[in-house]
Amino acid sequence: MKNKTIFFILSLLMVAISSCNRDKNNPGYAYMADYDMYFSKYDKAYDASTILPNGQVNQPAPEGAVARKSSYYPYHPKGVVERMTDQVKAGKELDNPLKATKENIAEGKRQFEIFCSDCHGFDAKGNGHLYKEKLFPAKPSDLTGSHVQEMPDGSIFFVITEGSASGLMGPHGTQVTPENRWKIVDYLRSIVK
Amino acid sequence: MNITKTHVKPLFKNSGYISGLFFLLTLLFSTPSFGQTADDANNFAQCKACHTIGGGKLVGPDLKGITERRDEAWLIKFIQNSQALVASGDETAVKVFNENYKIPMPSHKLSDDQVKGILKYIAAGGKLPTGAEPAKTTAKKSEVSTTQQISEAERFITEKRESSHKLAIFAIISGILVVIILIDLIFTHILKAKWIHYILLLSSLWIIGEWSWDVSTDFGRQQNYQPDQPIWFSHKVHAGQNQIDCEYCHFTAETSMHAGIPPASVCMNCHSQVKEGKRTGKKEIDKIYAALKNNKPIEWVKVDNLPDFVYFNHEQHVKVGKLECTECHGDVEQMDQIAQVNTLSMGWCLDCHRTHKVQFTENNFYGAYKKLHEDLKAGKIDQVNVKMIGGEDCAKCHY
Repeated sequence: MKNKTIFFILSLLMVAISSCNRDKNNPGYAYMADYDMYFSKYDKAYDASTILPNGQVNQPAPEGAVARKSSYYPYHPKGVVERMTDQVKAGKELDNPLKATKENIAEGKRQFEIFCSDCHGFDAKGNGHLYKEKLFPAKPSDLTGSHVQEMPDGSIFFVITEGSASGLMGPHGTQVTPENRWKIVDYLRSIVK
Repeated sequence: MNITKTHVKPLFKNSGYISGLFFLLTLLFSTPSFGQTADDANNFAQCKACHTIGGGKLVGPDLKGITERRDEAWLIKFIQNSQALVASGDETAVKVFNENYKIPMPSHKLSDDQVKGILKYIAAGGKLPTGAEPAKTTAKKSEVSTTQQISEAERFITEKRESSHKLAIFAIISGILVVIILIDLIFTHILKAKWIHYILLLSSLWIIGEWSWDVSTDFGRQQNYQPDQPIWFSHKVHAGQNQIDCEYCHFTAETSMHAGIPPASVCMNCHSQVKEGKRTGKKEIDKIYAALKNNKPIEWVKVDNLPDFVYFNHEQHVKVGKLECTECHGDVEQMDQIAQVNTLSMGWCLDCHRTHKVQFTENNFYGAYKKLHEDLKAGKIDQVNVKMIGGEDCAKCHY
């Protein structure tokens, strides 16, 4: 009888302790979390969706859609050859809509340091720390050199958007907004001057 | 090759004849194939952007067997300044230029010896002699040991989690103690001295109180929540060691309510080339490739959660408020797995809203607050807090 009660108390204790375990994967509890407005039932960004066709709440923009305050961007190259011909074409067709004012260059510098400097270096000479520490295998090009500086603005804009012709630099069109891409171009021009 | 040469020359001039001879001898015997150093491989890195050795055509032609196809003197000229050669009307140069979509090969600042070294490296098939890179591998090993250390921030989080766990166990034990004491006090009377009962009762009630405070303040919050992610992605490696800016991946932080989870295509900006991690090998990086191949998004687990009755906007805090990411998210660059560092409670929000100085001048967003600008200029107030511009209003965050 005594053994049984001790066993009962011990097992109760074990259950109690294990239920209190704050697992790192457990977000914890909230008052009426699923019923109240704490975590309501509407779909949030990045959620999975049961209704929408691609199974995601986030939907891609329809083809050919142009975002507000931006202009139509006509190039969607597939493969190396198209990318190279488009790069030359973009140099002739696209004009830099922004003037190289002080603010634009300062903002371009900030954007450059976020998106470009890891590979191309803070001085844009192609000696970023990812290359220097042998984390990225190929040498990024020197953006102050004649090869890049002799390109028209549109070509540089194109390379930022679609990546380099070799494919070693990936497309950064999703990350950098068109306006900021032009600002980066302005900044690159201003380093050499 | 050029490095070894420049080393030899001054030695001959300055030091004695014997030491020079000795140096030459060691040079001859130590490097098995003279002229191929790790330096050549480094120089070839800038060619790699457009050329392969036996891997097919990229932008420029495949360089396999280039030393047999072309004359060495011509190659040196072409590599140093291809456009000058094309402009001079050299037949092969013009032909090569036209064959490759007229994309000019950028000129390289390489000396004749450096180019010769690269050509030797290409002729050897892009491989270094076995003795050439021992220094590299040792460097890698030491890096691995540093990455595997648990950082201060991570230890702090696990300790906090463990301490609240311990408190729970103590609370249960003292709960049982309370029952036993009460039974003894009312029915059994085994202990004669009653003050022992009272002291024990008070101290165990204190522990229970402490525990209930811990549980109730944790209610609805997720502090120290550190979920396992589908890919073993380390912020310590990417943001810490590799110094990649937060906004490189979370690029909508300045333009949207959400900081944004990068699509797998952003990973490919580097991982199209970097196919193996130092700690996890190919296993984790292959998951990105699988996600891209199957067109299936990676289902990351959200760490910092706010309840749905609170509105929070990243753009307002990052772009307008110019806050650093670490002010709310903690030392992300020290954490392998991301944990929620702060409570994200309303008190925590208001604490900052009441005391934090707003960058009020030279900020286009606050142009409309004319009275505050005047007061600031007149010296009536020395700084503007978030409170003064409505940071304490209920409807700013709850609507």
